[in-house]
Amino acid sequence: MPLWFLRGLRRGVVTTRYPARPDASAAALPTPPAFRPRLLTRQAADRLVAVCPSAALSRQDDMLVFDVGACTCCGRCAQEAAEAAPGAVTQSGQFELAATSRETLVKQIPILGGQR
Amino acid sequence: MNPHPDKPADRPPDLTPDKPADETAATAAAAARLRDTIAAQFGRSLHIRTLDTGSCAVCEQEIRLLTAPHYDLHRLGFFFTPAPRHADLLLVTGPMVRAFETAARKTYEAMPGPKVVVATGACALGGVYRKDPFVHGEVSEVLPVDVWIPGCPPSPLALLHGLGVAVGRLAEKTPALTFIVEQAADPEASGPAGPEAAGVEADAAGPEAAGVEADAADPEAGGKP
Repeated sequence: MPLWFLRGLRRGVVTTRYPARPDASAAALPTPPAFRPRLLTRQAADRLVAVCPSAALSRQDDMLVFDVGACTCCGRCAQEAAEAAPGAVTQSGQFELAATSRETLVKQIPILGGQR
Repeated sequence: MNPHPDKPADRPPDLTPDKPADETAATAAAAARLRDTIAAQFGRSLHIRTLDTGSCAVCEQEIRLLTAPHYDLHRLGFFFTPAPRHADLLLVTGPMVRAFETAARKTYEAMPGPKVVVATGACALGGVYRKDPFVHGEVSEVLPVDVWIPGCPPSPLALLHGLGVAVGRLAEKTPALTFIVEQAADPEASGPAGPEAAGVEADAAGPEAAGVEADAADPEAGGKP
């Protein structure tokens, strides 16, 4: 008798939950950026906004508005930040981003680095 | 989120109690009831119709991978169906080109209620294409979207999570995420991922191409028309 049959009788559940175990490939995926507010200046933020190809970033005074839904995880802001504001932009590591409201995908990042 | 637009009139009074006093408690109770209803309706088996409204087809590649052994969508009771008549959930990709608007509306109308619309990928969420004479720019201009799945493309795991959110089996995480990394003592030392990234970094197996296992024969091919 196949082992899976006995295992199924013992466990009673034939399907696994999501995710059954951490996905090995998930760590290698590009993810949306995360920001360090204290390293962001207005000038650096403007450079990030200018380089974003999908208009996911915009600046309103001392607030960097990040639309996660529009982000294509291309990493250009991280590249630009390497010059403009080193360390200010990293990968968030988040990929389970589904939302039931579009507004929750728009994040406000305070710019605490001031004018520099 | 309103996954029950076609629900008969006996449901709405439950969801909007007219007691403003303990509004948060009432709202929480209503949300719990709604979750139970969704779980009861969609929790065990769900049929998905994909709709490509002008995407570059990479979202479709990722959707196709869902049926491959590595992700095995069917273990969760999700199936792709070629006909909107059989579908509970409409998985829409692409920026909704205007030439496709009529077809999209007809597809949505052909689905039996209750139905859920999931916008998939940055195009569908309004990220890549601006509104112009050729595209609407986002799916919600034409269809009532219930769940948004960001990503360009969303990985199969992100899609699985989105489907779980759509049927109320999984909790959404985005409201709690800030995409702000708290300032550590030295900013360079805390690695490439934020402090919230614990779940992602938990595996020590190292990166491994998901597509490799996914090349097995796949008769349903992601429900493409």
